Amino acid sequence: MSEDGLDPVIHAPARLRIVVTLAALRDGDDLSFTKLQDLIGLTPGNLITHLRKLEDAGYVTAERNRSGVTARTSVALTHNGRAALDRYTTALRQLLDSASQQ
Amino acid sequence: MNEQIGTAGGAGTDEAAGLDDGTPMRAADAAVIMQEAGQKARQQLQVSHRATFTFWGLALLLGYGAMWLTVRGQHPFHGPDPAAFATVTLLAVASAIATVAGNRADSGVGGLSAARRRIHFLAVLAGLAALFALEGALVRAGASRGVIGVFEDSAPVLVAGLFYLTTSAVWLDWPLFALGIWLLVVAAVGGFAGPAGVWAVDALAAGLAYLLMAAIEPWVRRL
Repeated sequence: MSEDGLDPVIHAPARLRIVVTLAALRDGDDLSFTKLQDLIGLTPGNLITHLRKLEDAGYVTAERNRSGVTARTSVALTHNGRAALDRYTTALRQLLDSASQQ
Repeated sequence: MNEQIGTAGGAGTDEAAGLDDGTPMRAADAAVIMQEAGQKARQQLQVSHRATFTFWGLALLLGYGAMWLTVRGQHPFHGPDPAAFATVTLLAVASAIATVAGNRADSGVGGLSAARRRIHFLAVLAGLAALFALEGALVRAGASRGVIGVFEDSAPVLVAGLFYLTTSAVWLDWPLFALGIWLLVVAAVGGFAGPAGVWAVDALAAGLAYLLMAAIEPWVRRL
């Protein structure tokens, strides 16, 4: 955790977008890699890099399903990831509040 | 099968990732990103029922309307032409499958929601299959053509109404609940118009309700 209380894994523009996008899903849902890429606007390689960081932190899971000749990679936010985003949002709100009071 | 995301096709560092170049992100910028990303996700991940409502509204208006044209003024009532009835039914089922598949492909959302959609769709198919079997039983039991006429018109509307009621319970979707209740009312009351008139009543009452839902959906979803 950084000095300002913001989780450094989430506090990066691309990863913040990824986590917020996945948090919009209902519990138990996942999102296809291609749809996530479309929403975030990153190249596949860049998206993989950020997802790997989030996955290493236990914030997202990636599951690859094969059905016949097609394969679908789906990405979902874990409970830890959702809790981390909640903490991040709280810390961010406190930072913004304290900044506005100064 | 769970597996780590591979590195195929891509960069391996944050620097290469472009948007994470080590430049400190201000809290205000983070707040803007959160708001924009959240809004975009909610807009694009929500499965729109607008195309489905429009399709079913037109199908009911045109299909049931066409049926009414073939049966109106029949004395004695002998029902719609079986070939026309079978064609409309097949077109409806095929279009429903295409609509569901399209919605799923567009949303990109899998997991529990996709499983729920599959179960709902199978429930409708099972309901319609049971309906046709029951119609056969009614014929076998000696029901008049007039009774069969009311049944084969109103029963699919009843099944659709129950479908929307159960769907609304799963998603806590009040507009779908209202549509489900309305379809049950149409199914229950339309039959009183008789075996010919019921086609016209249901075409208008159910068809226009679907089109109204299609028209107001974007506004309702924003609430």
